[in-house]
Amino acid sequence: MDFQIALLLAQDGITNGAIYALLALALVLVFTVTRVIFIPQGEFVAYGALTLVSLQSGKVPGTLWLLLGLGMVITLVDLSRAVRARKLRRMPSVILFNCVMPLLLAGLLSVVSPATFSLPVQVFITLILVVPLGPMIYRLAFQPIAEASVLVLLIVSVAVHVTLTGLGLFFFGAEGSRTPVFTETSFAIGEASLPGQALLVIVSSLILIVALYFLFERTIYGKALRATAMNRTGARLMGISSSMAGMLSFALAGLIGTFSGILISPITTLYYDSGFLIGLKGFVGAIIGGLASYPVAAIGALLVGLLESYSSFWASAFKEVIVFTLIIPVLLWRSLTTRHVEEEP
Amino acid sequence: MKIKEILFGILAVAAIGSAPTVYADINVGVTLSATGPAASLGIPEKNTFTLMPTSIGGQKINYIVLDDASDTTTAVKNTKKLIAEDKVDVIIGSTISPNSLAMIDVAAEAETPMIAMAAAARIIEPMDAKRAWVFKTPQNDAQMATAIVEHMTNNNVKTVAYIGFADAYGEGWWNEFSKIAEVRKIHVTANERFNRADTSVTGQILKILSSKPDAVLVGGAGTPAALPQKTLREKGYKGTIYQTHGVANADFLRVCGKDCEGTILPAGPVLVAAQLPDSNPIKKVALDYVTKYEAAYGPGSVSTFGAHAWDAGKLLSNAIPEALKTAKPGTPEFRKALRDALESTKNLIGAHGVFNLGPQDHLGFDQRARVMVKIQGGTWKLVK
Amino acid sequence: MKNLIFLWAFIVALALGPLVLPEFYVTLLNYIGLYAIVSLGLVLLTGVGGLTSFGQAAFVGLGAYTTAYLTTVHDVSPWLTLPAGLAVTAVIALSIGLITLRLSGHFLPLGTIAWGISLYYLFGNIDALGGYTGISGIPALQLFGFELKSGREFYYLIWAILLVLMVATRNLLDSREGRAIRALKGGSLMAESMGVNTPRSKIVIFVIAALYACLSGWLYAHLQRFINPTPFSLTQGIEYLFMVVVGGVGHVWGAIFGAGLITLLKQWLQDWLPQLLGQSGNFEMIVFGLMMILVLHRSRDGMWPIVQRCFPERAVRPRVAEAEPLPRRAVPPAGSVLLKISNATKRFGGLVANDRMSFDVHAAEVMALIGPNGAGKTTMFNGVSGVDPLTSGEIVFCGERVERLEAHEMAQRGMCRTFQHVRLIPTMSVLENVAIGAHLRGRKNFVHAACRTERDEEARLLHEAALQIERCGLAEHLYDVASSLPLGKQRIVEIARALAADPCLLLLDEPAAGLRYLEKKALADLLRRLRDEGMGILLVEHDMDFVMGLADRVVVIEFGQKLAEGLPEEVQRNPAVLEAYLGGIE
Repeated sequence: MDFQIALLLAQDGITNGAIYALLALALVLVFTVTRVIFIPQGEFVAYGALTLVSLQSGKVPGTLWLLLGLGMVITLVDLSRAVRARKLRRMPSVILFNCVMPLLLAGLLSVVSPATFSLPVQVFITLILVVPLGPMIYRLAFQPIAEASVLVLLIVSVAVHVTLTGLGLFFFGAEGSRTPVFTETSFAIGEASLPGQALLVIVSSLILIVALYFLFERTIYGKALRATAMNRTGARLMGISSSMAGMLSFALAGLIGTFSGILISPITTLYYDSGFLIGLKGFVGAIIGGLASYPVAAIGALLVGLLESYSSFWASAFKEVIVFTLIIPVLLWRSLTTRHVEEEP
Repeated sequence: MKIKEILFGILAVAAIGSAPTVYADINVGVTLSATGPAASLGIPEKNTFTLMPTSIGGQKINYIVLDDASDTTTAVKNTKKLIAEDKVDVIIGSTISPNSLAMIDVAAEAETPMIAMAAAARIIEPMDAKRAWVFKTPQNDAQMATAIVEHMTNNNVKTVAYIGFADAYGEGWWNEFSKIAEVRKIHVTANERFNRADTSVTGQILKILSSKPDAVLVGGAGTPAALPQKTLREKGYKGTIYQTHGVANADFLRVCGKDCEGTILPAGPVLVAAQLPDSNPIKKVALDYVTKYEAAYGPGSVSTFGAHAWDAGKLLSNAIPEALKTAKPGTPEFRKALRDALESTKNLIGAHGVFNLGPQDHLGFDQRARVMVKIQGGTWKLVK
Repeated sequence: MKNLIFLWAFIVALALGPLVLPEFYVTLLNYIGLYAIVSLGLVLLTGVGGLTSFGQAAFVGLGAYTTAYLTTVHDVSPWLTLPAGLAVTAVIALSIGLITLRLSGHFLPLGTIAWGISLYYLFGNIDALGGYTGISGIPALQLFGFELKSGREFYYLIWAILLVLMVATRNLLDSREGRAIRALKGGSLMAESMGVNTPRSKIVIFVIAALYACLSGWLYAHLQRFINPTPFSLTQGIEYLFMVVVGGVGHVWGAIFGAGLITLLKQWLQDWLPQLLGQSGNFEMIVFGLMMILVLHRSRDGMWPIVQRCFPERAVRPRVAEAEPLPRRAVPPAGSVLLKISNATKRFGGLVANDRMSFDVHAAEVMALIGPNGAGKTTMFNGVSGVDPLTSGEIVFCGERVERLEAHEMAQRGMCRTFQHVRLIPTMSVLENVAIGAHLRGRKNFVHAACRTERDEEARLLHEAALQIERCGLAEHLYDVASSLPLGKQRIVEIARALAADPCLLLLDEPAAGLRYLEKKALADLLRRLRDEGMGILLVEHDMDFVMGLADRVVVIEFGQKLAEGLPEEVQRNPAVLEAYLGGIE
């Protein structure tokens, strides 16, 4: 392996690592705020990319039906609860968010062929189609059992993952897809060339990470999320609804996942079930950060990307074995260094 | 309490749902991988069964098509179900080699002939008491690999690198290809693996590039096989890229786009049926299949895998009238007769080649069963 | 009695099944049996022990691959490959367990996902194991010279093994070791303090679950006679977990029920969903996913408890019979020093919770540790009992340095404690809860328990537990479920549990909290009686009247430091104490 190969491998590792890092951040966010280990994080990557592909080929993406369906169910659940409690004040906004908006979107897509839109509009439609699934999933699957143990939430999380994968197959079929590259430019570094698309991934990830930082540090919502992450009961006493915080964190997770999917769709072929392994690798990063520290999680995810890249060079058949076996020492080190405070029975 | 009612409802319906069905005609049981990793192979096969003849030799044919999700346990379960519940006279399936290998014991014990649609030669070789019941329609990997190696030697390729799926498909190709390449004195410089759902194969490709091969062979099926090829081109590889017949579907062309121009692959003649010389007897049969398939599923939708199912149908259409002469469908005698009739198939023209079976050869293809194809202008072109 | 009738009806139905059922149902029942064996291990691991694993399919693979390799390549008899497979699995499970079981809480299931994936790719990448294509030609099993070729013949083997394992598992759970496992789920802190070596218990159930899975894999290989890596992937591992969660993760019967339900449902859905949706796919997974979510929302114990309600009788709980009393520990002479603490310091980061504390406790004495909230009393308790070791300092118990010992080792040496927040196993009876305390007074292990050769000892342990319950005045609640008792009585159960360990030093963390006046009086009488019998008692308490009326000596702590020590009257007059406690006297 000469220097140039090492450099190219590093570039590949960092490009993938940037995506893993984004996912790792989302996972840490969701875990600290809601204690949910969000296995379906990767599904948003696949959904995002494949929805964009559907739009570009002029088809109505299946995620629209999911959005409509989940919206209806939530409206019904909330409505029946509101009627029983005789508190109908919040219903208009619930109906607007869960029913009217998806229906408007459906109307739009049935009138105009999405293939005629420009790329930014297609990306925007993809985001408003897929991102709301995050908070909707939280509302239906996790909010009713928000107080359950981490393990129960984890099993529900796996169940959500399985459901979403099955639905993904139904919506997008078994074959993979990719979108045309956003940019054809490439930059020369010595003899090697750095494709513009890879650079776009890295830069966009950095921008998103910085944006998240500002969200947490400077905005009231970000502060609310941080407060909830530190102390749920305390935050609730200060008037921060934990279900609001949950919704918000899932919305962010959805946004990050979908955005990652859109970013990588031109550089790789994505399948309905690609998300799981991508998400799991983000996980390894998040675990290195103890599911608590954002910077360590991001660095950990970058390391996973690099490790994957170099091991696919040295021993491609054993790549997954290497990447996933290496979690175990990390987990071990984590559980030895963090003192486990037992939950009250 | 509500849950309890739902629960009993489910159990009751499950019991009714799987109650046995009784048929009086010829029952053809099919298990194929319409979902899971091998879906891009299994779906066109599944589609083909709707085009199959509904009566042969004056007997009504019932096709019972099950999906095994590319999973061996399910394939075996399906086979047992077809034999026990549907009392099938013959089994067609499965799409992939591990599933087909797993089904051999079940089919042989029930003394039911089975026609596999998977490539591995191990399915029918070495011939023994069990494999006497097993036939297959796709060309052996070895046959296809020989074609590639021949093309390589003719085009002065001295060194070649291999990158294949980390599954039975990539493994099967590696075993056959490396063996034949060694015999023909072609030096294999690298042997890499990748996963169907991998997002990047840069590491493997760099390794291959650093071994400086004259050509690269990608051992994958369907759209995932596009990723190594795209990465090779992106990293500036100028040599010839060979693919296997596993990529011969429209989705591959769609995903791979202009990066696949100039790619060479072996395939069954059905892929380029229209370009075959009129003197080729296969042309008519293959075109017939293509026309029927595209009429049902749209232009450009045809793939070579569906044609393996079609050929299985051809074998049956030829053998069933023969078997009907000696026994009635639904009896062990009929199945035995069907097996014998299948084994004595001679000069039967299928969409993929000409079948000449015998007690030692349960495939029966010759050189006519494969052609070399080049991707040109976003479509398949026969290499003359 | 009726339960027994149902059981026999079930067994008879099982035995007659293959004679009347169509072939395909027998096939399905075979798979259900195979899955149920794995699920049974998961019930033990996840439902009872509280350790979630997504990786069981990999252990099934170990069993299947060992026998496939040995029988096809080396022509070994399948009956010899079984012990070989079990040995291989035990070794691998033991080493994986030693690493991953140290992982706390949610890190463990994530770890199982990791090695579940790794082992799958390993199977596929080893050429000797047939790679991804698999191994064919695995021989059929021979039983008494008879070849088990058909599904109907194999059926009896699978279900006989399953029934044996079920009985063994039930026996195991209803025993001394079983109680220790059941105590794990409520948090290892309590079990550890009762002398249970919790890491060992975890490893043992992990290995047992792996062995069950291996056995299932061995059967699978000889039933299918072909194997490749797909049935041992993570997806299948997740499906096993689905089976037990839907079926009833805490119930032995839940394993069979869940395996049956999921297998039948899958079969049915695979037939009907593609027709419904107009395309084919493994859409049954959508239904399973939704079902899991629904089950976990509505009935977290799965569906078996719902089925169970149809049965007239509740599960039989262990009863007490006359038995030979257990041997007692020699009581140290009254007044001798039991516990000597010198310069005990505990830091949490920058916070010093205990600062150079020193005091001692004598035999036949009640020593009270008092102080305002947050003074560091519970920290001191945790330090002494080995739950949360001191940062520095020295603890001598019965003449032995013990500050580095684990909680279960402390318990072994005769120190037993109760908890500020009651830690009983809510679903167990009072008797079983108290019997956990006597854990260290039994010797028989898992194997004895599974084979029921420890019934003598078990009877003696239960007898001892009953004696202690009576001693604490709770005889009428012997067979009640612990969670049905009022909080005050639950505290007394905790004391009875500690007494069942036959300690010479008792550590009581706020035993009088939540007790009514008469109950407090009874408790004080009990403690006095214990003291008079020679027991040393160290207690933390807020109720001053209770403390001052009972304690022989008192240590007052504030901000982690010892403020005063002496007889109750002395301490009560100490100005520093009054200052700290009452904010000074005017």
